[in-house]
Amino acid sequence: MWLQILWSVRSFKCPWRSVILAPAALGAGGLLVCWLLSRRKIKTLEMGDGWWGSGERPPREKEDERIRSFQIETSDREIQELHQRLDQARYTPPLEGVAFQYGFNSTYLQKVIAYWRNQFDWQKQLEIVNQYPHFKTTIEGIEVHFVHVKPPGIPKGQAARPLLMVHGWPGSFYEFYKIIPLLTDPAGHGLNEDVVFEVICPSIPGYGFSEAPHQQGFDTLAAARIFHKLMQRLGFQEFYVQGGDWGSRITVNMAQMLPKSVKGLHLNFVFIISGGLGRLVSLLLGAYVPWLVGLTREDSRRLYPYLEKNVYELLRETGYLHIQATKPDTAGSGLNDSPMGLAAYILEKFSTWTDRSFRDMDDGGLERKFSMDDLLTNVMIYWVTSSIVPSMRFYKENFSKNPNTAPDTRIGVYVPTGIAAFPQELAHCPRSWAKKLLKNIVVYSYMPRGGHFAAFEEPELLAQDIRQLVRKVEHL
Amino acid sequence: MFLEIFLTLALGIIVYLFLTRKKEETLPIEEGWWGKGQKPDSEEDTTVRPFKVETTEEELNDLFRRLDQARFTEPLENSCFQYGFNSVYLQKVVSYWRNQFSWKKQVEVLNKFPQFKTKIEGLDVHFVHVKPPSLPEGRSSKPLLMIHGWPGSVYEFYKIIPLLTDPASHGLSDEHIFEVICPSIPGYGFSEASHKKGFNSVSAACIFYKLMLRLGFHEFYAQGGDWGSLICTILAQIAPAHVKGLHLNMVSIMSVRFTQLLSILLGRYFPGLFGFQDEDVKRMFPFLKKGPYRILMESGYAHIQATKPDTVGCSLNDSPVGLAAYILEKFSTWTDPEFQKLEDGGLERKYTLDDLLTNVMLYWVPGCMVSAMRFYKENIGNGIGTQKHEKLPVRVPTGVASFPNEILHIPRSWAQQKYINIISSNFMPRGGHFAAFEEPELLAADIQQFVGRVEKGK
Repeated sequence: MWLQILWSVRSFKCPWRSVILAPAALGAGGLLVCWLLSRRKIKTLEMGDGWWGSGERPPREKEDERIRSFQIETSDREIQELHQRLDQARYTPPLEGVAFQYGFNSTYLQKVIAYWRNQFDWQKQLEIVNQYPHFKTTIEGIEVHFVHVKPPGIPKGQAARPLLMVHGWPGSFYEFYKIIPLLTDPAGHGLNEDVVFEVICPSIPGYGFSEAPHQQGFDTLAAARIFHKLMQRLGFQEFYVQGGDWGSRITVNMAQMLPKSVKGLHLNFVFIISGGLGRLVSLLLGAYVPWLVGLTREDSRRLYPYLEKNVYELLRETGYLHIQATKPDTAGSGLNDSPMGLAAYILEKFSTWTDRSFRDMDDGGLERKFSMDDLLTNVMIYWVTSSIVPSMRFYKENFSKNPNTAPDTRIGVYVPTGIAAFPQELAHCPRSWAKKLLKNIVVYSYMPRGGHFAAFEEPELLAQDIRQLVRKVEHL
Repeated sequence: MFLEIFLTLALGIIVYLFLTRKKEETLPIEEGWWGKGQKPDSEEDTTVRPFKVETTEEELNDLFRRLDQARFTEPLENSCFQYGFNSVYLQKVVSYWRNQFSWKKQVEVLNKFPQFKTKIEGLDVHFVHVKPPSLPEGRSSKPLLMIHGWPGSVYEFYKIIPLLTDPASHGLSDEHIFEVICPSIPGYGFSEASHKKGFNSVSAACIFYKLMLRLGFHEFYAQGGDWGSLICTILAQIAPAHVKGLHLNMVSIMSVRFTQLLSILLGRYFPGLFGFQDEDVKRMFPFLKKGPYRILMESGYAHIQATKPDTVGCSLNDSPVGLAAYILEKFSTWTDPEFQKLEDGGLERKYTLDDLLTNVMLYWVPGCMVSAMRFYKENIGNGIGTQKHEKLPVRVPTGVASFPNEILHIPRSWAQQKYINIISSNFMPRGGHFAAFEEPELLAADIQQFVGRVEKGK
């Protein structure tokens, strides 16, 4: 019987081609179907909803969606009070020979405070701040402030592209004041007018002139959703987004929530998610054979020696993050009451995060890249709005969840992305690492100079890179 | 043949033991100089000068003006003390400080114990020195050095001092009567702050050693918690012949050995195997929550103070309200971690506002918050477990009082890796980090029973 079956199988003639081709075609077809299905099912982040006002959310009331124009004003009394506090400032002499190694050097701080007290003219700075139109609108129970700058003139046949730029900590919308004209009026600044933007710079709720949330839980997802609502309210269905620091995480969340609205995503900072064993291996090998693990020579230069540059450096510089992510109300208490303490705390970052070697300078190298007027204007925004404590709470709200299991770390970003990697950024993220989350990087540029506050410090370089991203996206 | 093998093995074991034997090491005493500018050629002035805390109208008016103009930020709804010091309750504290607290009265309280200053290694060192009011016939008092920590001060000891110098009047056995010396760590309170970088616990220990010698004590007991615990430990390592006994209400270990890791994994199931008692297990487990997670949540201050003390301390030296919030948050959370869930942080359950604010004033009046914070950078700024004294054992008889709400519980079996001569180790029934301030009777009793054991052992 067995012999018979064997003989009948052996005698079953069939051309060998079809034996191979049929299953191959089936396999290929199956793969094609799978691929097609997966493409259509790009996971997006749940948008959800929120309410951040005081007390209970009013049940049936429709939110007032009007956009109200707004001018920033400060009374003389407030300025007098500020001056009085500066006059009574108490300093502690620094240790001998430490420059900025123990934090903001108080000898140099006295000079800054003397300038603030005697030469800095807030009313004059307000005129500069008010040169761009400011607005407020109520979203999810709180007032959201934003600057909205339209181009002075648009060449024929073009439309201004809406661009949402989101700041971080301890920055503000003011960081964008030098880059805005390069984006809205390129022709007026010697740039090609093929790409013109209208720029919207909101203040993250809790920062500057945006009202602080009254409820717990306000994280980057909430901010992303609020900014989506803002753009929709302004009539934009498709727009570009740009961000660094918290702005980077918020704009990434926006791209994860509503990819069809985000034409392009530009970042000057990438939050690195831990990479597990694979990352460890690539780190160990990367020092010797960078090309094998997807690192370029420039990546190597910026990443190694790894322990020194990434682990020790980060430990040295993240004390603020640790205390703000655990006890923001305590940390901010004195800062909201002492303008000189606030200035030291904020400006220390503008020193060290612009260039790490500034720690060895007696004046923290602050005035090498920034003017005192610009630096103090940013500090004043935190002072006059009393927003330092809510700005710090943002850290606790975001770091309370486990970063490795948070929903937004597991959803890929498929919108065209551009990354500008500045050499003095706090932590360098190579393209191959960024690709874990950002699946569609069309531009990755190693910037020649500049640190964390890219728009503030190197507006021309950043503007060029944003424009390059847009050209790639629109095939110009 | 077996004889050869046996002899080789024996020789091998002897050589191995010889090589791995712990060498008898004491920590060398460092000669430092922390004054301003260059060290002068002249001999240092070693006189001990009496000192009294004083206050002026101007100082008080300045404080009141700042309290009156304080700017607060509304807390998030229902957040209690989970985000740090609740500003609604802070306003109540500030109002009390402004209207009811009497600094003049508290200065009198501070001055009821004799205080002195003396120059050591270029710095004016402040200390309280309390002798027993009376001594029974033929008896002598035992010198006891008690060292505070951050954000505490010598004032933390004001309730326990009478129990130690005058036990009879407080219904306690007068078997051991002490004369107590409480110095302020340089950079804290009325002790001058170092002008040079590098002033760490070893430097403080060397200065306090010289202080005790200058006061004529060749043998003394040392007691401490927080930084005081570390400084006393180092004292016992640099001058073991002088430290009769070391009593600690906080133990910290700087390195983790394999056996300890193993005990974390298995200690809950086989406590006896790792030398854990039931109370140890109760206080340590679940380990992640009570150990690393708790440390992570509570050590933000240490991280920023160990890296940027001048920045974070800046506003605290300029805003008394900010200073109070920063310091009193610790008196809430480190006394009982559950206090975070209370709107008032449970502060007044164990302490009076007068006492709490007196301690805060000892940072405000001398303006020493920044220098106090620098101590963190000098000690742990280069990493934990990297310094020599952290690797050497302590041979002096040691007593440990383990309070249930201390930030991190270290079981005796772990402490014994470093403190190899623990002769007393007790679980306290209640109390947290600020043992002397919060539970003076309990701590005094434990010190007395420890001293009893040391004396008996002689």
